[in-house]
Amino acid sequence: MASQNMDPAAAAASTTAALKGGEAGGSAARGSVSKRLQQELMTLMMSGDKGISAFPESDNLFKWIGTIDGAQGTVYEGLRYKLSLEFPSGYPYKAPRVKFITPCYHPNVDEQGFICLDILKEKWSALYDVRSILLSIQSLLGEPNNESPMNAGAAELWENQEAFRAHLHATYKS
Amino acid sequence: VFLRGSVVLDMMMMDSLPAAWDSVTSALVSSNSCLQMSPMSSCTLSEEALSEALDLLSGHSLAQCVEGWLLETMQVRLTAAVAPEFWAGLEQPENEVEERDRARVLLRAFRTLLVRLEPFLGGLERLGTWQEEGRGGLSGPGSRGLRERALSVIRAVLLFSPPAVLQDRVLEFYSRTFAVHMSREGETEGETEERAHPSDGGLCSGCAVPVEECWCQEALEQLEELSHILSRLQLLERVSSEAVTNILHRLIEQRMEQRCRGEYENSFLSDFQEWLEHVLGWLSRVFVSEAGGSSVRAALGSPTGQPGNTVLQRWRCHMHQFFCRIYVNMRIEELFSIIRDFPESKPAIEDLKFCLERTNQRQQLLTSLKSAFETRLLHPGVHTSDIITVYISAIKALRELDPSMVILQVACQPIRKYLRTREDTVRQIVASLTGDTEGCSDLANELSRTDPVTLETQDSEDEGSEQWGWFDTPDPVRSCSKRRSSDIISLLVSIYGSKEIFIDEYRTVLADRLLHQLNYNTAREIRNVELLKLRFGESHMHYCEVMLKDVADSRRINANIREEESRLPEEEQPPLALSAMILSSEFWPTLKEEKLELPPLASKAMEVYTHRYEKLKAMRTLSWKPHLGSVTLDIELEDRTLTNLSVSPIHAAIILHFQDKSSWSLEELSTVLGVPQEMVRRKLTLWQQQGVLREEAGGRYTVVETCASRERPERSVLLIDSDEEGDSNTTTQSEQREEKLQLFWAYIQAMLTNLETMTLERIHSMLRMFVATGPVVTEMDVNELQAFLQKKVRDHQLIVSGGVYRLPKSSH
Repeated sequence: MASQNMDPAAAAASTTAALKGGEAGGSAARGSVSKRLQQELMTLMMSGDKGISAFPESDNLFKWIGTIDGAQGTVYEGLRYKLSLEFPSGYPYKAPRVKFITPCYHPNVDEQGFICLDILKEKWSALYDVRSILLSIQSLLGEPNNESPMNAGAAELWENQEAFRAHLHATYKS
Repeated sequence: VFLRGSVVLDMMMMDSLPAAWDSVTSALVSSNSCLQMSPMSSCTLSEEALSEALDLLSGHSLAQCVEGWLLETMQVRLTAAVAPEFWAGLEQPENEVEERDRARVLLRAFRTLLVRLEPFLGGLERLGTWQEEGRGGLSGPGSRGLRERALSVIRAVLLFSPPAVLQDRVLEFYSRTFAVHMSREGETEGETEERAHPSDGGLCSGCAVPVEECWCQEALEQLEELSHILSRLQLLERVSSEAVTNILHRLIEQRMEQRCRGEYENSFLSDFQEWLEHVLGWLSRVFVSEAGGSSVRAALGSPTGQPGNTVLQRWRCHMHQFFCRIYVNMRIEELFSIIRDFPESKPAIEDLKFCLERTNQRQQLLTSLKSAFETRLLHPGVHTSDIITVYISAIKALRELDPSMVILQVACQPIRKYLRTREDTVRQIVASLTGDTEGCSDLANELSRTDPVTLETQDSEDEGSEQWGWFDTPDPVRSCSKRRSSDIISLLVSIYGSKEIFIDEYRTVLADRLLHQLNYNTAREIRNVELLKLRFGESHMHYCEVMLKDVADSRRINANIREEESRLPEEEQPPLALSAMILSSEFWPTLKEEKLELPPLASKAMEVYTHRYEKLKAMRTLSWKPHLGSVTLDIELEDRTLTNLSVSPIHAAIILHFQDKSSWSLEELSTVLGVPQEMVRRKLTLWQQQGVLREEAGGRYTVVETCASRERPERSVLLIDSDEEGDSNTTTQSEQREEKLQLFWAYIQAMLTNLETMTLERIHSMLRMFVATGPVVTEMDVNELQAFLQKKVRDHQLIVSGGVYRLPKSSH
């Protein structure tokens, strides 16, 4: 709407310029981001971590599917969760968008699957990678932060582990 | 309070007592210069009068108060006047810019200080003498004790919280005199370019001003005077130590930066030792008086004949300590590069070893080296052979640095751990052991150099002669359990904890080499096997020995058969000269299986050969691997002849078919050879490049009997070779292939974990897209992948239904 108040020609010129600039910068950045993601995939494959896994969803390297198994000794043991990971073109300087695909009953996960985890938000650092994200989420499952719950009911129920487990397993559907 | 005696007497003496006090005190504090310069002059009180006055005072028990009074007076004066004057004198000339002037001001301030304090010191001296003589019933600590007390008062008052200006000035002045001193020493030594350099610019190398204004001499004189004053006031230690420490530290560091950083091929120890001796000369100027110039000190009877030695000795120790610490710090920072450059950097390692023994920085070294390895070496961008090369250098360098091997073990742990994760580690090590790789001949040398028999024996340790020069001739007695732990090959082999892996890999490499050459020349291989046998033991190398024996036997059998054939009449001579490499299948690594139907000419020759072999070796027969081998052939075309081409059997088979029929389709060739079309197409390219065959429209291949272009054949000679090489390598790299497949399996598992079900084609395209390791993936065609996946299905690691693959449910 704002552009209506401007000289249309100038506006058009500026948008195309912006587009071009964006494209040029974007494609170069995209190349290096691809390289990084390729490398991360390799690392993840070689690491052989049990219980976490991820792979590009299709031929698009910027969208991955991740899989986390509930850690042993936690109420999530035996449950498997799928996540989606979307990498912005500014990755790794910008955090990837990570959310649960499998519904996850957890104090820090809301109904849409959004996760409240500091390293995915303000504490993000370019030093993190897919592997560390998945490991962090895996440990978040067993050790929720009940101070700032997104799912208040789950946070309350967490105190009673048996009841929590019962509810969790009853509602779990992969 | 004093009035213990009779009141009468007090009254009588009332007049004379103050007079006596005055005369005594004035004798002590009065113009000190008189006392010092002409004690007999008239300005002093006569000795008798003084004694009388003293007696009078002591009669009233006042004599002992003189001491207290004198010290008190001095302290009051010091606080009220002398100290402020001193500081003011030091800071006063804000405006003067010249360093030379500042030096003068500094000296002047101290001079004034001394002049102000001299009267008191003189008085104390005198009082002390009286006390020692017991005059007037005086007793006390004596001149030495009094002096100590006075000086500690002076130090306390004056230097309780000295403004920074003092340190700054002293530092500046000392730095200057240091430069002057060193420049003079330098001149006498006729030393160094960089000293000569500044004087080219017309500046004095000592005081850095134009030569005509040089004040070097003055500075040295000033230094001498200052040192004397400080020494007299016993302020030397307090005033100078910090500045001197500072200067030494800075200069050593500076010199080291200039000379040693990045320079690993020379030893700097003796150079620095020499330089430090020069510095010591300067120190002896600074601490000259303390060293014994002061008569007071001498009077106090310094026990040693050379009283300066203790102070200088202490400074010498300090300097060495500084030096070692700074050197170690610098080298720790550079250790990675030093290791990388070993053995050229051996002098640096030796220096570091010397210094490290004197400082307590091993922990620091370890931490820093480990992190250097991690950041500079152990990441995906470094080729495995480079990591191994650095590791070998590290072993050599660190066992030199630390014969106890602790540093080696701890620092290299990350390397070993990392190498375990690299798939081609074993192959690289084996290849360099046998001298296959270029550039990494260290291991081959190591293998042949060491006398491994001594590894087994436990000779007495010869600690003294620990100069394991790896390039000098092997010393047969140089061995011990300790040596074993630093033996390069043992260390490398132990990365995986088992030598079997290495031997298996070596077997593969050996097979590759023997089959690649096909010339029965095994001299080098025999040598390697013998060397390895000494290391790993006879039994482990048994397979390899059999392989070598096979080659030797093949050669003999071939000769036999050839001879037999040559005795045949002309018309029965075989059309094809066939030599076979006869392998005992049990002992060789599995060879790559490939189907290939050879043309009748060749298969006939092979049949005949087999018959003759069976006659020669009863109860045995041959099972041919038609796709492995090499064919030398000449091609005669209408207008040209290609001679002495060396190609693989499939190439030869293809071209041989064109002898009978000059035009073939891919399909026909594929049928007659029993080889997939794709493969035939690939093999055909050689002949196309060679200009012998041409692809016609409709996918038919025909012989190019007349060649239009001239340059083609020359160019393609190279192409034959590269093609050959790629081919014969793949024949025996089945094990490496297996490793690659494991990597694929990790990817496949991950994609199926996350994407649940996938078709063969999807898996193949995903692999092609995301496996980022080299050319392997392109070589894996769909059929191979399918075979691999089928195998996994048979192993129950995979489920296939309706054309899609999935992981079994219980897999996690």
